[in-house]
Amino acid sequence: MNVSESIDRTGNDTTQTPPAIQLSGISKSFANGNQTIEVLKNVNLTVPPQAIVGLIGTSGSGKSTLLNIISGIVQPDRGQVCICGAASEKFNDWCSVSYMFQDDRLLPWRTAIHNVEFALEAGAIAKKERARRALEALQLVELETFAESFPYQLSGGMRSRVALARSLVTEPRILLMDEPFSRLDAQTRALMHEELLRIHQLKPMTVVFVTHDVTEAVLLADQVAVISPRPGTIREVVDIAPARPRDITQSEVTRYMQRLRALI
Amino acid sequence: MAKESSEVINDKASTRPLSQRLRLDLVAQRLALVAVAGGVWWLSSLSVPHYILPGPTRVWDALRLIIANGDLWNNLGITLWRVAVGFVGAALIGLPFGILLGANQRAGEFFEPVIPVLNTVSSAIWAIFAIIWFGISNATTIFVVFMTAMPLIITNVWQGTRTVNADFIELAQVLRMPRRKVMTKIYLPTILPYFFSGARLAFGFSWRVSLVAETIGSSSGVGYRLRQAADLIRTDQVFAWTMTLVVMMATIEMGLLKPLETYLFRWKKGVEMS
Repeated sequence: MNVSESIDRTGNDTTQTPPAIQLSGISKSFANGNQTIEVLKNVNLTVPPQAIVGLIGTSGSGKSTLLNIISGIVQPDRGQVCICGAASEKFNDWCSVSYMFQDDRLLPWRTAIHNVEFALEAGAIAKKERARRALEALQLVELETFAESFPYQLSGGMRSRVALARSLVTEPRILLMDEPFSRLDAQTRALMHEELLRIHQLKPMTVVFVTHDVTEAVLLADQVAVISPRPGTIREVVDIAPARPRDITQSEVTRYMQRLRALI
Repeated sequence: MAKESSEVINDKASTRPLSQRLRLDLVAQRLALVAVAGGVWWLSSLSVPHYILPGPTRVWDALRLIIANGDLWNNLGITLWRVAVGFVGAALIGLPFGILLGANQRAGEFFEPVIPVLNTVSSAIWAIFAIIWFGISNATTIFVVFMTAMPLIITNVWQGTRTVNADFIELAQVLRMPRRKVMTKIYLPTILPYFFSGARLAFGFSWRVSLVAETIGSSSGVGYRLRQAADLIRTDQVFAWTMTLVVMMATIEMGLLKPLETYLFRWKKGVEMS
C-alpha cells in the first residue's frame, strides 16, 4: 500500500525502490533489578533490498536485541522501524519477515515436513496448500527425501536445513538470522553458507544476520555493520566489495577481515 | 550429504533382525513361565480340599458355566462401563484442570496442597462415602473410580505443563501464532506423553478400585460376583472371575494402550526399543 502512496507523491512509476529496512534513532534499555541497562543508543541503519547485511559486535553489544526489534518481537523505547516502507506494526503479506534462531528449534514431535508446515499454520492456509509449499521448501534445501523423518533421526546440518526451509516457506522478503549456524561444526557451517548463498541467488531476498564471527561476516555479507559495545551504536558500515563466492585465502578478503577485527 | 543419509539407513536396517530374534526368545520364555505356574497350581491343588484351592479343571468348568449362563459378559460389561464413565470423567476434568494449574501460577500455588491430600485419601474411604451419599447404585462405583483417577491425571498433566519449552513459545510468537493455536500446537503435544502415562496409571488403579467399590456398594458387576462367590465358598468361581479380569486387563494394557503409546510417541528417541 505504501509503495503506491510514494509513487503518487513523486508522481512517476520510478524504479527507485524504498529500502528493505530502515532504522532511525533506535534506542532500547532493559531494567535489571533497580538499574537500567542501555542496550542500544540512537541506531540508524538502512538496508537496501535484496542485500545481505551482517551485524557484528562483541557479545552483549545488543546485536540480537536489534534483530528482535526489526522482527517486531521487541519494541524500541525510541526511534522508528520501517520495513519495505511500512511501519513495522503493519507488516503485510507482500513484505513478510522470517526469523531464524540460533538453534534449529524443531518441534520433536513433528516430522521434517510438518515442522516446515508449522510456519504456515498461524494463518488460514488450506492443509493441501501448506503441504505443497512445505515440500517445495524442503526441495529448495535438498531435503525432500527426509520429509517424513523426525528431528532425532536427522544430523545437525540436516536439522539446520529444515529450520532454513521453515523460514523460507512463508516466502519472506526479509530473512533475519540470529547466529544461525553458530552451533554447527566448522565443516557443516561452511556447507550451510554455500546453501544460503545458493538460495539467495535463486530467490533474492533481504538477509540480515547477526554474528560474532568475522570470517562468516566477510564471506556472506554485502555490507557489515559493526556495533560498538554497550550502549550499542553503529560504529561503521563496511561494504564488502569482492564478488561471491569468496574464499578466505584471497588477500582482498583477508584485508576486510583485518579491518573488521580492528573495528570491533 | 551422501554419508549422512547412508548412516541413517544403516542404523535402521541393523537393529531390526536383532530385535525380532529377541522377541521370539521372549515369547518362548513367557510360555515356559505359564507352563511352570500352571504345573505348580495343579500339583498343589491335588493335596488340599477344592474349596481352599480348586484345581485347573474345576476352575475351567466354573468359567464355562459363567460364560454359558451369560453371567460373565453381563457383569464384565457393567464393570467395564462403570470404570469407563468414571475414568473418562476424570480425564475430562483432569486434563483442563492440570493445564490451568500449570499455566496459571497463582492457581497452581493455591491448589498445590489439595492434590497430595486427595492422593492420600484411600479408595476404601471414598467407597464408604459413596455408599453414604449414593447408596447401592452405579454412581457409587463411578464416584470411587473418578476420585481415584482424577488426582493422578491432574498431577501428571500439571507436571507436563511445567516442561513446555519456552523456546517453542517464542518460535510461535515470531510466527505471530494466535494464543489458541499455541495451546493446541505446542502445549498439547508436550503434555500428551505426561497425560498418557498418568491415564495409564489411573486406568490400572480404576480397575482395582472398582472391584472394591462393587464388593461393598453394588448388586452387580465383577466385584459383586466375587464377593457372592466367596460368601458361598465357591472358590472355583472366585478363581474364574479373577482369571477373566487378569486376561482382560492384560489385553487392554498390552493390546491397546502399549501399542497406542508406541505409535503416538514414535518421535521420541528410543521409544521403539522399550
